[in-house]
Amino acid sequence: MEKEIMNFNTEASMDIKSIPSDLFVKKENNENLHDQAFETKPITYLRGAFMRFAKNKASIVAAIIIGLLVLFAIVVPFVSPMSRVDPIEYPNGFKDPNFTYALPTNPINKALNLGWWDGTEVKTGIPKNDLDMYELDDSNHAPIAEVVEKVEEKIGARIQTHYTLRLDSYSTGCKEINVSQEEYEKLVAYEKEQGIYHTDKGIMKPLRNCGSYLDKYQKQLEDEMKAAIDEGVTPPVTEDAISKIIDFLEGYYNQHQRVWYEIVSRNYSQNSFVIKYDANNKVTPIYEMNGGEYVYAKDNLGKVTIRVDYYDYFTFHNGFEPRFMFGTNSAGEDIFYRLALGTRFSLLLGVGISLINFIIGLIWGAVSGYYGGTADLVMERVTDIISCIPTIVILEIASVQFTNNADLKSAIGQGGIIVLAFLLAFVYSGWIGVAGTTRMQFYRFKGQEYVLASRTLGAKDPRLIFRHILPNAAGTLVTSSVLMIPGVIFGESTLSYLGVVNFSTSGLVSIGSLLNEGSHAGLNAHPHMLFFPCVVISLLMICFNLFGNGLRDAFNTTLRGSED
Amino acid sequence: MKQKKKEIETEDTILDEKKPLDVSNASSDELVLESDRPFLERFGRGFVNFWRNKSTIDTLKYILKRLLLMVFTFGIVFVVCFVLIRLLPIDENTGMDDKEKFYLSMVSKGIYRRIENPDGTYTYEVMPILLQFVNFIKNLFSGSDHPFGYSYRIQWLISPHEILGSRLTPTILMNIYTMIVSVPVGLGLGTFMALRKNHWEDHVLSVLIMLVISVPSYVYAFVLQYLFGYVWQIFPPTAASSTVGYFSPTYFASIILPVLSMCFGSIAGYARYTRAELTEVLTSDFMLLARTKGLSRGQATVRHAFRNSLVPIFPMILGEIIGVLSGSMIIEAIFNVNGVGGLYLESITKQDYDVFQFVSMFYIFIGLVGTLVVDISYGIGDPRITMGGGK
Repeated sequence: MEKEIMNFNTEASMDIKSIPSDLFVKKENNENLHDQAFETKPITYLRGAFMRFAKNKASIVAAIIIGLLVLFAIVVPFVSPMSRVDPIEYPNGFKDPNFTYALPTNPINKALNLGWWDGTEVKTGIPKNDLDMYELDDSNHAPIAEVVEKVEEKIGARIQTHYTLRLDSYSTGCKEINVSQEEYEKLVAYEKEQGIYHTDKGIMKPLRNCGSYLDKYQKQLEDEMKAAIDEGVTPPVTEDAISKIIDFLEGYYNQHQRVWYEIVSRNYSQNSFVIKYDANNKVTPIYEMNGGEYVYAKDNLGKVTIRVDYYDYFTFHNGFEPRFMFGTNSAGEDIFYRLALGTRFSLLLGVGISLINFIIGLIWGAVSGYYGGTADLVMERVTDIISCIPTIVILEIASVQFTNNADLKSAIGQGGIIVLAFLLAFVYSGWIGVAGTTRMQFYRFKGQEYVLASRTLGAKDPRLIFRHILPNAAGTLVTSSVLMIPGVIFGESTLSYLGVVNFSTSGLVSIGSLLNEGSHAGLNAHPHMLFFPCVVISLLMICFNLFGNGLRDAFNTTLRGSED
Repeated sequence: MKQKKKEIETEDTILDEKKPLDVSNASSDELVLESDRPFLERFGRGFVNFWRNKSTIDTLKYILKRLLLMVFTFGIVFVVCFVLIRLLPIDENTGMDDKEKFYLSMVSKGIYRRIENPDGTYTYEVMPILLQFVNFIKNLFSGSDHPFGYSYRIQWLISPHEILGSRLTPTILMNIYTMIVSVPVGLGLGTFMALRKNHWEDHVLSVLIMLVISVPSYVYAFVLQYLFGYVWQIFPPTAASSTVGYFSPTYFASIILPVLSMCFGSIAGYARYTRAELTEVLTSDFMLLARTKGLSRGQATVRHAFRNSLVPIFPMILGEIIGVLSGSMIIEAIFNVNGVGGLYLESITKQDYDVFQFVSMFYIFIGLVGTLVVDISYGIGDPRITMGGGK
């Protein structure tokens, strides 16, 4: 402060005398005069940008959500139990045909029995027989059906009863399966260790003997028929009808492997049946007996046929419970795991392609903007023409051409072909945006004095481009390339959703291919298959846009101090 | 109060007489501000002045240059697409038994050459691509009834332009309905937001618009289809078949959902753009002048601000009008609409190359024409912009 006054007053020497003398300080001869150093730290360009970014709450939230999604995409494929299944048994990743279209479930909702997101579904119009089937189920996870409503409908004179049930889509009941001898022995050892071997709680259940029961029932029907003929009355069934009844019942038993009790035809009808109750109102089991003991396993061409509670057997066999947070698809694959894979693929593709586009666009735009004139004109016309051809045309041509190229296919596989086709299609015209921005920035900076000064000092073109102009344009360019990532992800998901690229045999998953699967399964029938991929892609899009806008504002130095 | 207003008006007129603001466009007896005239009149005047203007020759030159450039670009793009598509492997298994017809059509297009064997049978051979191109051009101008080739998988041996013609109606209808809804609503919302700038309404709507623009269109198409189509069953979840007639109420009801899902993005786009333009215009000096003249806020906004903000928005709408011919592939796929977008997708998934080529070129052509018209209309709508105005 004192020095300022001194400086000021040297110019107006007239007033020097009026200044009180105690304001003056004597200067020693060996003392140099300096400006005072800043006491605060200078705010660099990046630091200023970061400060402006940190003020934007929406961008911060968006950045956190993107971080979480990236974490989801990186961590889940490694820690998920699906990633550790036997690769020989499941060559294309885990799937179980017994759990197709399983509904999303989570442990909290399941424990609280909330009725949504707990793997249960309300089904209407269930006949009495099916209700009985669920109630009589002999698996370890009964009861599995909860009656919501009983509907009595009058059709003509008859009253038909339907039930509305809440069914757990993970209760598959008991299944008859063939396992190897080794696996069977392991299962027996496990059950003995747990003390549940050949008990009610065991994984293995007694085998059914439908054949001998149906033979017995056929004989009974034939006897009834013969008795009627002997008495001279019209027989209730004919020979032909009996075989049809037996066929129908056999089909029913094969289809519903959890039915373990005797069923008989309803009034000799060929397509409906009732459960046979004995005098004590109990059903009669059709378990296979051997010397008063239940038969649990049977040899079948070198394999062992057993009847298991499938839920428990699955847990024993795979080492994790069949509970799928986001449900399963038509092949019984876990959507949660596949969504993580898809997000990883989409993010990698988005970032990778944006990076390539950024580099190409930077070089192209730099040359076109820096040199200007004829070079610029020609380069502009070239980009005009390139941008005319839609991405979808390039993608289609590339994917067909690559798929038909046998050498390429054997070298990089179907997955590699998809990646290559996407790369070509999105790089083909994706860099034009960056090139345009770079060109604008070059036009802005190349005429400025500092560039002229540098040139006067002998700087060559590459030095001017890369050392002097490009760093100035970096902020704008980086932001525009961040905003390119959601564009690529959106384009990829749209094209895969439309089925322009066929993912089915590639072993790759993208969010778009999950959407494609979901729409093939039917929005009405299985909305959960579309819901979760839609949520993830919407979150990605919103967050990347918010984050990119935040970055743009942060790097925009004209906004410095405007919010304060 | 009234008198005061009059005074200001007369002052305004005097001011105008001394220094006409629009020397280039208004003759001396017209003392009205250019922005005071109704928009259409202004547009018409702009059009008339455009022809009277001394620089009309320059403008015409510019348009001609742009047209030639467009034809040139289209030609190059066409050659590139043609070569790329012809490089694709030809799948002779068309799913139809009549192989001979397939070969004959390929010969008539000049893709195959027929070679007679000594034993009287024929074999067919693929021609070089350059010759294929020459044959294609010949075929195009020879007045053949299949100038653009044949469809093999979508409609057996029908010309692609006939198929495209039959698919245009639903696409155009859908796009027009979308425009009828989204242009007024979008402009209205944008104006409302600009007037309520930095109030809570503006903030809420801005967030909503950001969400709608970010979320992919198929996501809200799914939501609409699931909720309105399947759960509540208010509208049919998919478009009706063309047999009911495109103008029947049944068909209209069935395309409400696709139109709605297209409207969301469109409305958000218009609203955002209008808001940006209008806030810029509302803060300009002539608005202050208009208010000083004594116009109420509403008058000033409608007569001066809104019309001026329309200058860049109008070409946007014009571009969309041309774009009604091209259908949205994804919306048509979701709602099963039998339109141009659906045809494009079908030609890709079924690999029907002649149709694919024709529809691709159709889309590219519409894109080019749209850009051209938008660029030219900027100059016509706003007399301040001189077209091809050099450096």
